[in-house]
Amino acid sequence: MSSKCIVYGCMFLNVKMSSLLKRALFNNSQSIRKTAALFCNATRNHWNYQYQPGPYPKTPEERAAAAKKYGMTVEEYTPYPEDMGYGDYPKLPDIGEDSKDPHYPYDNPELKRNFNEPLHATAEIFGGDRCDISIRRRFSLLHQWTWFLGTLGGFALLMVFLEDYKIGRPVTAKQIPGQGVHYLFSPN
Amino acid sequence: MGQIMGGYHARSVDLNSDDNPTFDPQAGFQYERKQREMIAKEEDLISARIPNKYRDYCAHYLLDYQVCRYKEMPLLYRCAHEKHNYLNCEQQDYVLRMKEFERERRLRVRENRISATA
Repeated sequence: MSSKCIVYGCMFLNVKMSSLLKRALFNNSQSIRKTAALFCNATRNHWNYQYQPGPYPKTPEERAAAAKKYGMTVEEYTPYPEDMGYGDYPKLPDIGEDSKDPHYPYDNPELKRNFNEPLHATAEIFGGDRCDISIRRRFSLLHQWTWFLGTLGGFALLMVFLEDYKIGRPVTAKQIPGQGVHYLFSPN
Repeated sequence: MGQIMGGYHARSVDLNSDDNPTFDPQAGFQYERKQREMIAKEEDLISARIPNKYRDYCAHYLLDYQVCRYKEMPLLYRCAHEKHNYLNCEQQDYVLRMKEFERERRLRVRENRISATA
């Protein structure tokens, strides 16, 4: 019953159901939930052997081949450092989609990207509706830090300097019966 | 604003709110000062479950007030007499603390004056 709901749900989301998947779904009760989570998720969840980048290029011939694979010239191709684990994926400049020219006739104007242009390695955060670290800031970082530290530091200094000038009620401590002897101001 | 202006006389002799008096309580008095006595009994306070911060020298008025409230609930207007007694006692206690503060301040000013001329 629940598996039928999952099937109709997947069809509604335009996901193809291969026979292998059908066998996986209906054979094991635990895997129904897991497979449904994979395929009925809102984001794309497929993998392709061509998505895997090649190994880190060590010789100049390997660098030329990698540059050609990603559609860049040898001069502008630089891979990430080897210990980061990106293989031969190129290190593209950190330009967000918001900073790109809006009037250029891109092949794919929704992504501001041309055909076969290599995507940035962290393109998911550089999208047009997401972060853009390359925009010109309205206030420079120095301005922001100055105002932030200045305000906090100013208040801290104020508290430190006015520590000896506090205002309080003109009374001594509260007189509690068990602690100490207390007197009235009259003889009776 | 008067508190700000008047506070200078106390701050200049290093006296702040809620300080303890440092001089001998009997110093400067011709008569002997009467001791404050605690009228409410400890076991009554414990049995009535009065919180610790209300167990001061006015606690006997507080006990009478609570008894009256318990008896007259919900017609609490009938306890105005007991409430007035308790609040008056608390006010006298606060005035006594203010007097102690002023006494402490004047004794410090006097001590400064004596040590300056000496």
